[in-house]
Amino acid sequence: MITAEQKPIDEIREMIAPYKRILALGCGSCVAECAAGGEKETAMLASTLRMAAKIDGRDLLIHEKTVDRQCVKDFILPLDDIIDQYDAVLSLGCGAGVQAVAEIFPDVPIIPALNTEFIGETRDQGYWVENCVGCGDCVLYDFGGICPLTRCSKRLLNGPCGGSRDGKCEVDPEVPCAWQLIIERLSKFNALDRLEKIYQPKDWSMKQGLGPRNIIREDQQR
Amino acid sequence: MIFSGETQMKSALKLETGCNHDMDENREQKLALFYCERTPESSEQDKQSLEKKYGNSIHLFPIPCSGRIESLHLLRALEEFADAAYLITCPEGECRYFEGNLRAKKRVQKAQEIIKSIGLEGERIGIVMNEHTKSLARQAEEIMGSISHLCPSPVLHPHRS
Repeated sequence: MITAEQKPIDEIREMIAPYKRILALGCGSCVAECAAGGEKETAMLASTLRMAAKIDGRDLLIHEKTVDRQCVKDFILPLDDIIDQYDAVLSLGCGAGVQAVAEIFPDVPIIPALNTEFIGETRDQGYWVENCVGCGDCVLYDFGGICPLTRCSKRLLNGPCGGSRDGKCEVDPEVPCAWQLIIERLSKFNALDRLEKIYQPKDWSMKQGLGPRNIIREDQQR
Repeated sequence: MIFSGETQMKSALKLETGCNHDMDENREQKLALFYCERTPESSEQDKQSLEKKYGNSIHLFPIPCSGRIESLHLLRALEEFADAAYLITCPEGECRYFEGNLRAKKRVQKAQEIIKSIGLEGERIGIVMNEHTKSLARQAEEIMGSISHLCPSPVLHPHRS
């Protein structure tokens, strides 16, 4: 899941200042799960902005709408029927959603209301943790399902560093030592031999350095 | 300037907040009051009596548990008609759904943070807990008293703020 958080309200107010008719556009997928840009959060932000405008004596119309997935063209296209009513779209989608809407409606200013954060897991209600950096070359098999690139503060592929205390990271004592978790888990499956392999420095070209990545699956195409 | 008595104190507070206009003094505060249905003496008959007593100054919203409240309910009330929006819950530890009032408390705090971020007084949103012996009417009266020093909401009367 992509996680995000709402931008500070003053930043959003500054960005929408030039516009009088705004569509607040939520997304019902990842950002709804992390309570940043779903239907409820979209309604709350729209209500807050309308109140702020009234206090300022500004004439501002904000309507709300939430699409199931703001990063999928098929869910964005139906907005074509209403988009002309607005000067701008305030998107509560992740960065991918914002750009997808901008690409489909090139003549309408799209304003991001969220800061997109990381690929994460909902660990508990109201608690999300980063556990994947999207490196493009998954190593989870070798490390027992625990990603050292994400969960080790030093991103060590040939660990541990030796600095952990009571199973906690020396960089941040609140964080469990990823290498302790890796060793415990591999021990449980009698698979510690996987750690005998010496990893070369990570090839980050699979993630970045070659421009924006894309995936093309002909079997999924029209 | 020396003031004595509750009314004069409220006038002083209005002076401090810059809304000492005569018309504001006479304007009725509108309260949106959400309450758990387990609040003492909060039957439909009690509700109607309160509505008769306060007229348009109070809008009552019974909910099966205070945990049903969302920050959005409080914000929408302030946006659309109310000068203040409050919630009455069961005392801590006495929610029949165990955590309803604790969750409600966090959502009220969230709504307070939001309105403060746009320049409204945080006390326009509030929660009353631990008053299990007081009737709905008594609590409503106390809340009305506690918000009476507030200016009319600048959201509803933008040119008066």
